[in-house]
Amino acid sequence: MSSITLALSKGRIFEETLPLLAAAGIEPTDNPESSRKLIIGTNRPDVRLVIVRATDVPTYVQYGAADLGIAGKDVLLEHGGAGLYQPLDLNIARCRLCVAVPRGFDYAAASKPGGRIRVATKYINSAKAHFAAKGMHVDLIKLYGSMELAPLVGLADAIVDLVSTGGTLRANNLEEVEDIMPISSRLVVNQASLKLKRELIQPVLDAIAGAVK
Amino acid sequence: MRWVLPDHIQDALPAEAEKLESLRRTLLDAFRAHGYQLVAPPLLEFLDSLTTGAGQDLKLRTFTLVDQLSGRSMGVRADTTPQVARIDAHLLNRSGVARLCYCGSVLHTLPSTLTATREPLQLGAELYGHAGLEADIEVIRLLAEVLRLAQVPASRIDIGHVGLFHALAARAGMVPEREEALFDLLQAKDVPSLREFVADVPEDVRAALLALTELYGDATVLDEAARRLPQLPEVGAALADLRALAAALGDLPVSFDLGDLRGYHYHSGVVFAAYGSASPAALALGGRYDRVGQAFGRGRPATGFSLDLRELALRLPDAPAAGAILAPLQGDGELAGEVARLRAAGEIVVSALPGHEGTWREAGCDRQLIRRDGCWAVEALQGE
Repeated sequence: MSSITLALSKGRIFEETLPLLAAAGIEPTDNPESSRKLIIGTNRPDVRLVIVRATDVPTYVQYGAADLGIAGKDVLLEHGGAGLYQPLDLNIARCRLCVAVPRGFDYAAASKPGGRIRVATKYINSAKAHFAAKGMHVDLIKLYGSMELAPLVGLADAIVDLVSTGGTLRANNLEEVEDIMPISSRLVVNQASLKLKRELIQPVLDAIAGAVK
Repeated sequence: MRWVLPDHIQDALPAEAEKLESLRRTLLDAFRAHGYQLVAPPLLEFLDSLTTGAGQDLKLRTFTLVDQLSGRSMGVRADTTPQVARIDAHLLNRSGVARLCYCGSVLHTLPSTLTATREPLQLGAELYGHAGLEADIEVIRLLAEVLRLAQVPASRIDIGHVGLFHALAARAGMVPEREEALFDLLQAKDVPSLREFVADVPEDVRAALLALTELYGDATVLDEAARRLPQLPEVGAALADLRALAAALGDLPVSFDLGDLRGYHYHSGVVFAAYGSASPAALALGGRYDRVGQAFGRGRPATGFSLDLRELALRLPDAPAAGAILAPLQGDGELAGEVARLRAAGEIVVSALPGHEGTWREAGCDRQLIRRDGCWAVEALQGE
């Protein structure tokens, strides 16, 4: 009668989650890359997946629309994590949150105490916390994509963005000047769901925890 | 944009207001029958007495303003419990047990969940003066009874004990700021960040703090806790309390979560949360807060719970609205007596003000009082 819903985004997170789900005996019946379904069944009648935007995963789980979710730490930091348990680092979709500037920009001089720079980012909260900890004043510009463009056209002096290989930065003549934190995806759980559906959720948590590399 | 209400603030229209009020009466009557006396603390008072003994989270949640008469900071209560503790410690001065209850609006600067109101109608009961577990058992049972009366029986009553956290944090020698951060990490069961946070804490305490995030479930976690947590006297006492509760409350759907700290940092012992089926957050929170009275000059054992009546009323099925009886504005000498008799019998009787023919059904009338064969009779409403 009771069932559980797992929210995750398609693409890299979905691909890298598949082996973890398999360890818990869960196999999706469709591939979200080829199917246009937003609710995907699994081999287990009591488990289903919902495919949502990465940034929406914490919201679905917080509302209880999904019991479990898989979301990057970057997304969770922006969301704030209210109403969520975050028991497990899945060690997947790994990358870094970094400050990057155009090649030749003197970041060390610009970031001296009293300096003030303009920073374009999707990660307002994380960027704010990082520069505040350094005692630096920054003007943040919220963008939703193609961050690398901002310094090239004079919209910002620097960007704060996720970097995995650094290829996009190099292609746009930017360089990484500061590492903010390593990022990977986490399993999040709705707090009430863990209490009310523990019999269903706990075995899945344990199996995934056992399969995390 | 005219006449819209602020975010997370709402009206209660007649159907909902009726539900709220009838639920309020039912629950306050239940409190009364259990010996809980009603108190009505003010909506606002000086900030220091509102937030004393509580953590940063309650302070952030409190709307503040400056008193024009005294120049002091005042707050609109975000939680009634500290006010009731003040009344018990400072005004009632009873030496024995005091059982108090309350129901009134509180205001939150920030909603506690995505869908929560910023003006919860907080209803709660508090029991002062008894340090033994009998008091915890009484309030947990009262909470279960209240939820049953509200037709949302608790699917789960989750019990924890803040003493475990305090014992471990003290053992780790944490300064208060770090303790607050640790509290938040444990509350979120954020194991990866917790692991980083406690990297420099002595091994036995570190293992114990990490274990707290995994110690939840049925009463068997208490045995597991005894194995995994260090043999400190406070830990032993807390686990003994929880075992006794498990035994005493076996007929309720009780579970345990030793990493769940609940509440506004003022809790000091057994804490609990009730969940209804399909609610994305807890319906009621409660627990022991023995140290709050001390701030008001008299330390008193204290435990209790509170809940948002709006959240409960939302879950009540819509009762069919009681139809009103339309009475003529003027009649013979017997009309007034008949109307009074009907009203005394619980009927709603409205008089037909002139010039509104055709609108009485919309106004909620489904019957009318008519003079028939020399006496007044109630008949189905005609011609509306």
